[in-house]
Amino acid sequence: MADWSMDELQDWDDKICELGKELGLDWYPISYEICDYKAMIGAMAYTGMPTHYRHWSYGKSFDRIQTEYDLGMQGLPYEMIINSNPSIAYLMTENPMSTHLLTMAHCVGHSDFFKNNRMFMETNAGTVIDRFKAAGKRIQKYMEDPNIGIDKVEKIIDACHTIKYQVPRTPGLKRRDHKKLKEYYKNLMMNDTTGWYNDFNIEKIPLEPDYNLLAFIREHNRFLEEWEKDVLHIIEDNSKYFVPQARTKIMNEGWAVLIHEKIIKMLDLPTDYHLAFIRLHNQVIRPHLGRVNPYHLGYKIFRHIEDKHGFQACLDARLSHSDETFIKTYLDEELCNELNLFSFAYQRREGVHRITDVSGEDTWRTIRDDLIKNVGLGSVPTVYVEKLEKDGTLILKHEHDGRDLELSEANRVFEHINVLWSGGVKFTTIIEDEIWEF
Amino acid sequence: MSTFKEHKTIADRAASDRSRHRKKVEKAIKESIKDVVAEESIIGQSGKKKVKIPIKGIKEHQFVYGNNENNKRVGSAQGKKVQQGQRIGKANPRRGQGQGEPGKPGNKPGEEMYEIEMSLEELAEYLFSDLNLPELEKKQFKFITEEKMKRKGKRPYGIRPRLSKKETIKQKIRRKKAAIKAGSHDPESGERFPFHESDLRYKHIAPVQKENTTAVIFFVMDVSGSMTKSKKFLARSFFFLLYQFLNHKYSSVDVVFVSHTTDANEVNEEQFFTRATGGGTMASSGLQKVKDIIDKRYHPNNWNIYTFYCGDGENWGSDNDKTMDLFNELKEINQMMCYTEIGEAPDSRRLNSLSFFAEFSENSLWNRVETIMDKTFKRNRLVTHDNIWTSFKRLFGGKV
Repeated sequence: MADWSMDELQDWDDKICELGKELGLDWYPISYEICDYKAMIGAMAYTGMPTHYRHWSYGKSFDRIQTEYDLGMQGLPYEMIINSNPSIAYLMTENPMSTHLLTMAHCVGHSDFFKNNRMFMETNAGTVIDRFKAAGKRIQKYMEDPNIGIDKVEKIIDACHTIKYQVPRTPGLKRRDHKKLKEYYKNLMMNDTTGWYNDFNIEKIPLEPDYNLLAFIREHNRFLEEWEKDVLHIIEDNSKYFVPQARTKIMNEGWAVLIHEKIIKMLDLPTDYHLAFIRLHNQVIRPHLGRVNPYHLGYKIFRHIEDKHGFQACLDARLSHSDETFIKTYLDEELCNELNLFSFAYQRREGVHRITDVSGEDTWRTIRDDLIKNVGLGSVPTVYVEKLEKDGTLILKHEHDGRDLELSEANRVFEHINVLWSGGVKFTTIIEDEIWEF
Repeated sequence: MSTFKEHKTIADRAASDRSRHRKKVEKAIKESIKDVVAEESIIGQSGKKKVKIPIKGIKEHQFVYGNNENNKRVGSAQGKKVQQGQRIGKANPRRGQGQGEPGKPGNKPGEEMYEIEMSLEELAEYLFSDLNLPELEKKQFKFITEEKMKRKGKRPYGIRPRLSKKETIKQKIRRKKAAIKAGSHDPESGERFPFHESDLRYKHIAPVQKENTTAVIFFVMDVSGSMTKSKKFLARSFFFLLYQFLNHKYSSVDVVFVSHTTDANEVNEEQFFTRATGGGTMASSGLQKVKDIIDKRYHPNNWNIYTFYCGDGENWGSDNDKTMDLFNELKEINQMMCYTEIGEAPDSRRLNSLSFFAEFSENSLWNRVETIMDKTFKRNRLVTHDNIWTSFKRLFGGKV
């Protein structure tokens, strides 16, 4: 039986909120939902979003999570919180009070991060639940429409999902469609005194490389039906909402751990709660041998900042960074060595992974940069629209950064893009220093 | 101030997405089966061999970086000693993204179901459960029932040779004991106590119907020069499927491989599929061989016999009459026979322009077997691998 009551939760929450304010945090009100483990699995499968649109892939992850849970391979997370205003968070009935305390303090950290970090400024946390709900309803409507049906809708969603991360990654840039861009460049050309724009081809599409594949396809594929454009739009919106979370995983988790640790320390817990808390806390931040545990790394960096520059510096750091800049700025030699970071790569000839560098005076920068390449969306290759040919062929290019694509996957994605684009697609990348064209 | 409330459980929100996903898996397995059937490596393997069945369309694909020297990833080994060049984890070329998990090979069970493994037996099970063919059970695949005489107790009448002495004596002893008890016979008196007509017991033998679940399959293939490697491979794939199917149906299956050119040999499986020969084609030689073997080893009363002939239809014209005779003859003793022709049908329009070929076409085995086609004699054409599964289903009456 649970060792807590709703009233107790409320009492502890009052104290936690008080302490959060003392720390100078500013977060959305949190709406906790008490749920059982089944509902928790559901929340996880749908990325926490209670109003997410339907798609088989979420059913797949539901089954996967449940299987792993049933087999005891994975505990359920003690925390799940949504970037919304108010922030929806889940507390699992089965958990004891000590876990709830950690969760609640942790959620304050996350919600504060959502509200303050620059990457999230366009996620419109106030309306996100309703937006998802409306989108979900529209997709449901298309699925039920006898002229469309679930198979067609799924085909489009399947295809969109393959390029859902091919969206601009920097927040704050407003998308200009072709018409607006053309006006902009016409103006530039007219007022140009430098001669830079003499040879500028104002007729080409797009006028500058377009990193938003879903939007470009939606705007330029004349053969798409209205509902198809809507689906593309919905998924683009989804991506815009989720990209900031992907870009700040390490910071966000590190920050939430730092905050829950501080709050719990100040709470002056009874001994048995405190011991249980310590155990869970240590489990959360334990380093994973051979991997990078985002909770651990983020927490370590924030602690490092606090040790050197005080807590105010941490508050400042949480405002403007993404994982990439956060690591670039704050992961120094000392910390690299302490964490004993190393780079490794797959050795194709031998068929094994080998360590290429171990942190040290000469190598820590290399390792840091290797790490940066893999955090946030660093592990997602960038692909952009280079040109739309007169005959309707869409020319896509991979922005090669030294890492070759996995061809088998790229091939599949290419097939899916062909579903979305009626008129032929050409896609080029570099494989082993040679141009590769699909 | 946060708020707390009970989560409203909307009756299993994920249910529809879950069942949708499961349906996709099922469908994907069925779709992949024809690829697997055409997969060279499984043909001629034992039923225990595991095959991987790729399931398309249920994995979500993304652009990812390949797993190679240029794709460096980072791990931590706090408190542990590591050094450059040290090998970590297991070889795992499939992982191409994320932080990498050298400590774990990354094959969490249940994680990705896009490749499942099953044994050939399971595969056959799966394949043929899909062919739910009531028709097939009743007609083509009825088991031969054979009448066997079986002992069925004793009875007081019968023919002399079946007299059961033991039972008869028992009856007499029983009667004697009863007589003593009743006082009508005194054992001390030395009086004889003879057998009586009613003591006699005869072994009774009655005929019983016995289902015969043994089958023999004759695979007859033309291995003449005109059967190219790819044609042979098609035949082989088809034979494999047949073998699995009949194996699935019957408790024991004998397989006899007969390859023929202008004369026929019984060969083993390996020779059947690999040995290349040249020369002309006389289909009748192969069929004659089948007939000889049946006469010698597989009496039709005891065996369910299936004969599958595979060739490319290029038979000596003069041999066709004889071939047809043999087809007719064998048809009578086979549960099912099938004439399979591999390769494109000759273009009749082109052929018709030449009278010689027109005649040839008229006389071709393909056209001639049409006249004897019925429930037990089938005709079948294989052009590409895609045909194998569909023509198999057609042969056995499944939905195509």
